[in-house]
Amino acid sequence: MIQIEKRLREEAKRLLETKEAAVVLAFGRGFDEEHPMPLILRKPSDAEKIVFNEYCTFNMARHLTEFPPGTKIAVAVKAADSRAVTVLIQEGKVKREDLIILGIPVAGMKDFRSGTAIDATTTGPAVNPVLYDILLADLLPEPKDVSPYDVLAEIEAMSPDDRWGFWSAEFSRCIRCYACRKACPLCYCETCFVDQAKPRWSEKSPSASSNMMFHLTRFYHLAGRCIDCGSCSRACPMDIPLYLFHKKVSKECEEMFDQAAGMCVDAKPVMVDFKVEDSDDILL
Amino acid sequence: MSFDPKILGIACNWCTYTGADLAGTTRLHYPHNVRVARVMCSSRINPAFIFRAFVLGADGVLVGGCHPGDCHYSTGNLYARRRLAVTKKILEFAGLEPERFRVAWISASEGNIFAETVREFTEQVRNLGPQTKLAAQKRMLA
Repeated sequence: MIQIEKRLREEAKRLLETKEAAVVLAFGRGFDEEHPMPLILRKPSDAEKIVFNEYCTFNMARHLTEFPPGTKIAVAVKAADSRAVTVLIQEGKVKREDLIILGIPVAGMKDFRSGTAIDATTTGPAVNPVLYDILLADLLPEPKDVSPYDVLAEIEAMSPDDRWGFWSAEFSRCIRCYACRKACPLCYCETCFVDQAKPRWSEKSPSASSNMMFHLTRFYHLAGRCIDCGSCSRACPMDIPLYLFHKKVSKECEEMFDQAAGMCVDAKPVMVDFKVEDSDDILL
Repeated sequence: MSFDPKILGIACNWCTYTGADLAGTTRLHYPHNVRVARVMCSSRINPAFIFRAFVLGADGVLVGGCHPGDCHYSTGNLYARRRLAVTKKILEFAGLEPERFRVAWISASEGNIFAETVREFTEQVRNLGPQTKLAAQKRMLA
């Protein structure tokens, strides 16, 4: 981790000095070492502020869409984050040539709230970025025989009524702070459907049915795009296991459409694509 | 009195809606439970329409479109097919009975199939009983 931090500082400094990048997105110190914050650097001298430790879990791809088009951005990404960058490129939100991707192969990240390790139960099992220009550490061996979807078995086995009970109990705790939306690298809509007044898609105050409306629609909006970084669940102040639902939707998309989100820059996201031979068995 | 379900029908202008029209002009009898809304193409359907319908108290949602390959806009229903499949999976995983949501490909000449589908689906939803899971406690909009 120390090695990565050192390399990240060096690269950030070099990129800003040579003006290869106008902005570097990395991790900085929060109120203490265990609570890092997103850091946006514009001056080479700021590079000293970069930190990297096992609590740097947030997805810096979240901030890529906040800059004017054409800004040269260097972004530090971990395994899942690089898939988010790939999806943003696929969707035309950022251009590949405007990005310098600093890949960080890393395992053993920890949730700063609970201190527990982040593993394949809450995020994808991959440890190496899928897309990078500069690698900040040696590639790690990918874990074998670990599926990100194993954790779903228990909920899938429930009866519909039990599942309804489970989710309505979870979502009834939602306070509609929209931290999930804010933490998500792919929730970049300028006006979220839930904030629209005309048409009014959903009630804005928290209630059982409006919470469900918001979350189900958000799960749909991330279908075939969610890259399973788990940022939404870690951001949630009420500890709602949003990752479970996102994993389920990703799993179904992978099974039905034969493509995982954000693995290849040239692929089309599955929900803006079709195949003539797609099945409609479950619909009829 | 037995339960009378409220079902939202969303039909594409070119096939299913015309098929429904044909069912009417040929004097076919079918239950009144499906209220049909017309859209220009099944790919016009935002899945939020379907979630919203359930929140507002619909007991079932029936979507109708052209047969895959026959879309008036060439490929609209092929996109819709993916979207609706994911929508169904989401409703299912949330715990709503998947039988409350159904898609039917009905062409403009298939008035009898439209009537038959509505009959079947209405019975299916009637057997499930009122939809109380997603529906808001107080119906916000009548």
